[in-house]
Amino acid sequence: MIYPILHGLMYPFLFISMYFQIFLLTTFFENKKKIKHEEKQKSEVYPTVTIAVPCWNEEKTLAGTLDSLLQLDYPKDKLSIVIVDDGSLDKTLAIAKVYEFKNPNQIKVITKENGGKHTAVNLALASSTSDLFGCLDADSFVAPNALRSIVYYLNVDSTVMAVVPCIHIRNPRTFVQRIQAIEYLINIFFRKTYGELDAIQVAPGPFSIFRREVFDKIGVYRKAHNTEDFEITLRMHRAHLKIMNSHKALVYTIGPETFKGFFYQRLRWARGFLENALDYRDLFFKKEYGNFGMFMLPIAFLFVFYGLYAAAFIIYGLFSQVITWFTRFMVVGFHPHFPTFDFFYFNTNVMSFVTMVMFSMFLLALYVGNTLSDDKQEFFKNFPAYFIVYPFFVPLFLGRAVIDTFFKRRNEWVLQDTKK
Amino acid sequence: MMDTKKYIFTFAITSAIFATAFFASTFFSNKRVESVKSIQDNIAIDILSSETQFSLLGEVPCSNVGESSLSPELSTLGDKLSRTEADRGAEDNDVVYLKKYYSLLQIKDYLLSKKLANKCGAAKKPIFIIYFYSNQGDCADCEKEGYVLTRLREIYPDLRIYSFDYNLDLTAIDSMKTIYRVKSSLPALVIEDKTYIGFKTVEELEKLLPDTLKVATTTASLSKKVIVKQNPPKVTVTATTTVATTTKAAD
Repeated sequence: MIYPILHGLMYPFLFISMYFQIFLLTTFFENKKKIKHEEKQKSEVYPTVTIAVPCWNEEKTLAGTLDSLLQLDYPKDKLSIVIVDDGSLDKTLAIAKVYEFKNPNQIKVITKENGGKHTAVNLALASSTSDLFGCLDADSFVAPNALRSIVYYLNVDSTVMAVVPCIHIRNPRTFVQRIQAIEYLINIFFRKTYGELDAIQVAPGPFSIFRREVFDKIGVYRKAHNTEDFEITLRMHRAHLKIMNSHKALVYTIGPETFKGFFYQRLRWARGFLENALDYRDLFFKKEYGNFGMFMLPIAFLFVFYGLYAAAFIIYGLFSQVITWFTRFMVVGFHPHFPTFDFFYFNTNVMSFVTMVMFSMFLLALYVGNTLSDDKQEFFKNFPAYFIVYPFFVPLFLGRAVIDTFFKRRNEWVLQDTKK
Repeated sequence: MMDTKKYIFTFAITSAIFATAFFASTFFSNKRVESVKSIQDNIAIDILSSETQFSLLGEVPCSNVGESSLSPELSTLGDKLSRTEADRGAEDNDVVYLKKYYSLLQIKDYLLSKKLANKCGAAKKPIFIIYFYSNQGDCADCEKEGYVLTRLREIYPDLRIYSFDYNLDLTAIDSMKTIYRVKSSLPALVIEDKTYIGFKTVEELEKLLPDTLKVATTTASLSKKVIVKQNPPKVTVTATTTVATTTKAAD
């Protein structure tokens, strides 16, 4: 009884999902020439830039982050680094001081009581006077060309107010990191295409670069349900400030190593997305906010619930099949046969065809993501982990985020998220 | 800036893909029905042929009527019909028609087997199970009984299983229900003209089946294995002969 209802409801969602995929793919291919042209361009103008590095107990990764910033292919007199120690309890401050001592003209260290990432970034912003301002989480690392690639977009178009980079998982080793490696790969395609549609959903913590006037116009970072990067992006869209993507600006971030860490990180993101989207619900279905307000934001919101629904549908189907196998096993035991090929038994219903087409388009998007980035990932090594586990993992954090949002639960779990 | 044309264009492409999927699915589903119909027609011809042969029995000795008189395709047809039912739903007109046709073919096959046994004696006596089930959610054990019968058919290829949907609106099935006094308690199984109500395991059914089936199956499979190694082209002939001989000897 439940299954036919779930089955029937699946079609409208499949239609919307396929519409979304086709919309993005057509956008990408119609802009492909322009994107290729951009890849060959280099900025010869160097505005002053401040990069804030907010840290809270980052002794393990801070040095690597700072080394990567110091190796940026950018004039040293135009690049300032402000390390804000947000009340760390480990050796973070000591490491920061060493770098400040060695690079007094480029690095400045500020220390304060713990107050959250947004307070740390705002302190760095207040202490800077540069043309551009960005942030790099202390567990992320930039490729030498990253800043120049980003600055190109800001130089050629004065209406571009912020540029977001291309993010990879750094050295994915564990099973969970391999899942994230593929997830970030598909996001390269999404981010590029969203940029072409002026509908970037989030200017992420690792190395999104803003013009200073953005903060003059819309104010500084806010706590924003522990997802300040998403909130500031929504505020930029509300103020009609354009955000682009530089797919050649490579940034590497350390993904959570365990399922627990991964779960809490995604829970924070999903909860932040829901809470902020509700706070900014006035953007939904408003033509003045273009593709973002009319399509991308509503569909992202819808997909939270669709993800849960699709998971329920898949899990119900798999569970029924397992029950069938188990019942058969209990009744007659296990008697394997060689499968016989008979086209008669092939599944040829509408859902199978549509799913096949959608899966092909997903692979195409993944391929595009991989070709856009200069860093080719170990696709075949990482894909099985993603394909097998991710569909079952997503509903866990989405479901919890929806419940927490609905019941307005406090965010104690944020403390367990190692990546703030 | 929103590009309205692109939104419309995307809608057109998405709709076209869905329409193509719908037409492809309908096409293959219809092909499946046609395939089942075609198998049923073949079986109908087989049965008609057997009936004609049977009418001639007065002039032909029993030894000339082999096991092949009974249609071997009935069991695979049952599987394919189940698949078609799962695909199109039990209420689908084509499915209902195919199930009625299938039920009639089974009854004809059953009647023919019995006639053959009466005329030619125990050597030609078929061993069969008549199975009444329901898939309307009112028979908790029917799914399990289905697994048991499928397994039995794997163990005893000579066993003939005639399955009937208790709720199918067909007077011939109603007559079968009356003959074997099958009420709404399901699953119901008829073995050697005795009706058993309720779930039966493989072991329980094996005890109810005549020993001749087990001996015939074991001997036939052993004989097949030996002959396959020695001289593969002779398999069919030898196996058939062995089944007939063993059955005779056992009786």
